[in-house]
Amino acid sequence: MKTDALIDSLARDAGPVRPLRSPLRRIWGWLAIALGFAGAMVWAIGPRPDLTERMLEARFLLEQGAALATAITAAMAALALTMPDAARIWRWLPVVPAVAWLGTLGLGCLRDWAQMGPEGLRLTPDPECLVYIALIGSLPLLALVLMLRRGAPLRPSWTLALAALAAAAIGNFALRLFHMQDAALMVLVWQVGAVALIAAIAALCGRAVLRWPGVPA
Amino acid sequence: MSPASEGAPNSGSSERRHAALDGLMRAAQQGDRHAYHLLLQEVAQRMRRLIAARAPWLGQADIEDIVQDVLLSLHMARATWDPARPFMPWIAAIARNRLTDHARRYKRRQAFDQAASDLAEVFSTTPGQSHAEGVVNLMSVRSAMADLSPGERRAFELVRLRELSLAEAAQQSETTVGAIKVAVHRASRKLKRAINTGGEERK
Repeated sequence: MKTDALIDSLARDAGPVRPLRSPLRRIWGWLAIALGFAGAMVWAIGPRPDLTERMLEARFLLEQGAALATAITAAMAALALTMPDAARIWRWLPVVPAVAWLGTLGLGCLRDWAQMGPEGLRLTPDPECLVYIALIGSLPLLALVLMLRRGAPLRPSWTLALAALAAAAIGNFALRLFHMQDAALMVLVWQVGAVALIAAIAALCGRAVLRWPGVPA
Repeated sequence: MSPASEGAPNSGSSERRHAALDGLMRAAQQGDRHAYHLLLQEVAQRMRRLIAARAPWLGQADIEDIVQDVLLSLHMARATWDPARPFMPWIAAIARNRLTDHARRYKRRQAFDQAASDLAEVFSTTPGQSHAEGVVNLMSVRSAMADLSPGERRAFELVRLRELSLAEAAQQSETTVGAIKVAVHRASRKLKRAINTGGEERK
């Protein structure tokens, strides 16, 4: 097709478009969907019996707060990566909460070791974490991908990895409300490990899911 | 006054031209097809000029391919432009991204990287200057290529432009690695000499 013909056809088909709002303003709709779905899943599976006690524990609140903050900032960073002239600061936003999340769990491992010795760092298989996190993260990820596809796929692998990180962190946040597992090393390996694995797989699928028109994957 | 009639984006100072493009894009987002048509033409013209200047070995069809990709990308992403912000950095980010994609395809990363870093500059220079620059580059290379023997031209094309290994190039030309090496060396020397002379003659 000749370029002039392409210009004619693009101009002919172009109706009005509503400019996308900033990630800070778009995030709330996604968060409502993600937390709504996660809440429904927790309700359906049944919250852990000691949830009230846990809610009074600073360590639990800190870990959950860091997971939720990682989810929110990763989702905002993913949205910002699809805006061509967004400030670079957006993409670094998840670093602080993610480090805080890993840090609180790392410190938790040390505390478990101090309190219980080697028994506190026992690692037993807990693969269902991955299944639950993927299940609870699925709808939030789908919703976020639909939002991302309205933007520009400038960095598809990073964008999808951040989106999956956000969704899986929501999954992990919900998982801890019904799954009786608080040993820091177990959470770090099986839960945060699952979140990282999901984000890594998403990075590999980035170019297939988010791409420019007319370019093969 | 409608944004589309703020003046042709080609005329006036660089700020005014940029402001005119902002106005065209704002109108385009609101559904003004005429403004959008003008804007696409302007972007196409600037991209064409930029690519021809920085990658003169590309054929017309390849250049148009890239221009069309940028236009399609602009079209797809047009809702991501914030009307409160300038149009230039936005389209430059998209164009840089698409040039990088094409650089992978053409394996001429360095030249495209150069083009990408020059984007801001080229988008703000007057059309006449960068067009003349592109033509000079293109003419120098064309005339220099004409001086090569068919064997040298083919060897140069395979090894330097398509970046095949010496062995692959030798296999494709049904000759030896040594012969390819010599031909590429001679071609490079002749091209260098011809481009230098061409540049001096035009000064």
